[in-house]
Amino acid sequence: MASISTSKAEISYIRTGLLSNPPLRADGRGLHDFRTISLETGVAPLANGSAHLNIGKNPHDGGGGTEVLAAAKLEVENVDGHGDGVNGGRIVCTVSCSPSAYPHLSAPALDDLQQDMSTLLHQTLAHPSLHPPNLGILAGKKSWLLNLDCVVLADAGNTYDALFMAARAALWDCKVPRTRAVEYKASSAAPGAKVLASGEMDVDVGRDIEAQQSGFDTRSIARAVDFELPDYWDEGEVLGGSDRWPVCVTLNIAAPPPSSSSTAPCVHYLDALPQEEAATPLRLLLVFSFPPSSSSNLQAMRILGSGELESNQIRDFVASGEQYGQKIWNALNGKLKEEDVRRGQKARDRFARR
Amino acid sequence: MISFASFPVQPERGSEYARHFPGDEDDHMDLDDGDFEAGGSKITWPGESITSSQAYMRGHGTYVENEEVVASVAGTIERVNKLITVRAIRTKYNPEVGDLVVGRITEVQPRRWKVDANSRQDAVLMLSSVNLPGGVQRRKLESDELQMRNFFEEGDLLVAEVQAFFADGAMSLHTRSLKYGKLRNGQLVTIPPILVRRLKSHFITLPCGVDLILGLNGYIWVSKHVKESEQEGEEGFDAEAVYSNRNDFIDDSTRIAISRVANIIQVLASHFVPLTDTLLLEAYEWTVENDTDAKGLLSEDVGDALVATIAARA
Repeated sequence: MASISTSKAEISYIRTGLLSNPPLRADGRGLHDFRTISLETGVAPLANGSAHLNIGKNPHDGGGGTEVLAAAKLEVENVDGHGDGVNGGRIVCTVSCSPSAYPHLSAPALDDLQQDMSTLLHQTLAHPSLHPPNLGILAGKKSWLLNLDCVVLADAGNTYDALFMAARAALWDCKVPRTRAVEYKASSAAPGAKVLASGEMDVDVGRDIEAQQSGFDTRSIARAVDFELPDYWDEGEVLGGSDRWPVCVTLNIAAPPPSSSSTAPCVHYLDALPQEEAATPLRLLLVFSFPPSSSSNLQAMRILGSGELESNQIRDFVASGEQYGQKIWNALNGKLKEEDVRRGQKARDRFARR
Repeated sequence: MISFASFPVQPERGSEYARHFPGDEDDHMDLDDGDFEAGGSKITWPGESITSSQAYMRGHGTYVENEEVVASVAGTIERVNKLITVRAIRTKYNPEVGDLVVGRITEVQPRRWKVDANSRQDAVLMLSSVNLPGGVQRRKLESDELQMRNFFEEGDLLVAEVQAFFADGAMSLHTRSLKYGKLRNGQLVTIPPILVRRLKSHFITLPCGVDLILGLNGYIWVSKHVKESEQEGEEGFDAEAVYSNRNDFIDDSTRIAISRVANIIQVLASHFVPLTDTLLLEAYEWTVENDTDAKGLLSEDVGDALVATIAARA
C-alpha cells in the first residue's frame, strides 16, 4: 500500500528479525507493542465533534508519526423522494490523504488510496448495526446527515488503526443539537380561519382538522412540519451509540518465505512502521466493537497485500485480534473520558474567569 | 501494550501574549564589521532585519525590505565580505564536492541511476562512475548497460561520494572506491542533515559490533560490523559480493545493538544534538551502564536523561 521504496536487503533484514526467536524489531519494540498515541478531542470549533490523533510522535520535538484529523459535521436533510435523505438520518464517511503524506504517489494513485480508505470506513461505520438512534429530526420530513471527514496528514505506518481510533474519538465527541418540533395549529375558537404562523400552512391546518375529526383513524400522523433549535446551555445531546463505535486492529503477518525450508510459524505483529509494512506481504484488518451489554462484534475484516492465508489460520488471528482490540478499546475509552474531563475543566475555568 | 498521551498544551493566547512589532524594538541589531568573527555564529529568525541593505548585499535566505536585509529563514548568519547569507537550520541537504552521502536508487535510466540523496534534486550516478565486474579499469560495454539492474535496482541503498555538479545543480555521485557501494546488513536512520558534522572519517565502527556510515545528507546507515579482512574487493574485486542483495547472518546481540544505536541517533536528533563518533560511543556506553534497551529509549524521560548526561560530559 504505502510502500516507500525499500531495498531487498532491508526487507530481508526486517523479516529475519521478525521471524527470529525472540523476535526483534527495528526500533526494539515487542511484537505487540504500540508506539505512543496522542489524542485530543474537540480540535475543530466548527465541527460537531472532532479529534486529532497521532501515533508514534517523537516525544521531544513532536515530529513524525502517523497523523489523522477526524471531524463529524451534522447537516439537515430533507426526507422526501428526491434527495438521499432517509428516515432516522444517515452517515457518510470520507477519507482524504494529504499529498504531503504520500509524496511518492501520483495523483491517481492517491485517489485510489483514499477511495480504499473511505470505502472501508464508510462501510463499517454506516452499517445499520451501528446506527445511532438520535439522528432523526422529524419522521418523514427532516433528518440529520452526519458527515465524518478524516484527513491523513502524515503516514508513518498503521494508518487504518489510526483512522478508526480518530473516527471513534470524533463520533464520541459528536453532539447532536437539540431540536424542538414546530407544528402549526388553528386556534380552537375559529377552526380553519386563523393560522398562527405564515399563510402557506393552510393545507396542513386542513389536514389537522380532518385528522381530528376522524375517530377511527388511529395512525399517528406526524403533524410537525418544521423544527427549531432551542437556545440551550450545552451544544446538544451526545450522539447515541457512542459505546459501540468500533476500533480497528491491523495484524501484520510475517510468514517465512515459501522457498525456505524452515518451518518457523508465521508471526503477527501490531503497529507497523512504514518499512515494516513494506516488508510484510499480508495485513489483516479486523474491526471490533465491544458494546457493554453484549459480547464483542467483528464489524469488518479486510485482507491487504499479496500474501496468502488459510481459513483455519484466520480463526486464530481473529481470536488474538479480539484480545488486542479489547486492550485498544479500554485504553481509548480511558483516554476519551480523560479528554472529556479536561475539556470540561477548561470550559469551567473560562467561565470562572468571566 | 498500548498507551495514550496528550498533545502538548498550546500557550493560551491572552493578554500575556505580547505581540512583537518590528517597528518599536530597542534591540535592533545592526552588524558592524567584525561582528561575526567575535561572537561565533549568530542565530536569526524569519522576519528579523539583519542589517542595512546599503552597506551589505543580500544572499541566500534573505530579502530586502525598506532598505534593510531581512532574514527569510531561521538559521545562522554568515558573511563573506559584503555578502550576507543565512544558513537555514532545517533544510534540504546542500551538497559539496567530496561529501560522503548515503542514497537510495529511485530510477534506472539509460546509462545512469537516479538517486534520492535528501537534496533538492535527485542525484545522478553514471554507469561510468561505478565499479564494474572485472575489477580493473575497463570500457563500459553494451552488456553492462543491459544489466544495470544487476548492479543497482530501484530501492537499493548505496554509499557514494559527490563527484561533481551538473549545470542544473544536480549532483553526480561516484562509487569508485571499495569503501563505497551497495549497503546490506542493517537499517537506515534519517536525521536533519545539519546534525551530521564533517568528520575525519564518516565510517565509524563502534566496539559493540556495529558499523555506522554517517552520510552528510542526514541518512545514516547502521549495520553489522564487517571485519577489515573480510571486506569484499581489494585485489580480487568480487562483483557478486559487492552487488549482492543477501544479508549475512546477523546474530541477536548484534541486531539488538543495531536497534539500540539507531534509537540513540533518533533521540539525539530529536534533541538537536550534532553527531560525532565520540558522542555516539558515550551515549552507547550510557545505555549499557543504565541497562536501557532500545525500546526504553523511545520514552521521553530516558531520552532526556541520556541527552543531559551526554551534554554534561561533553
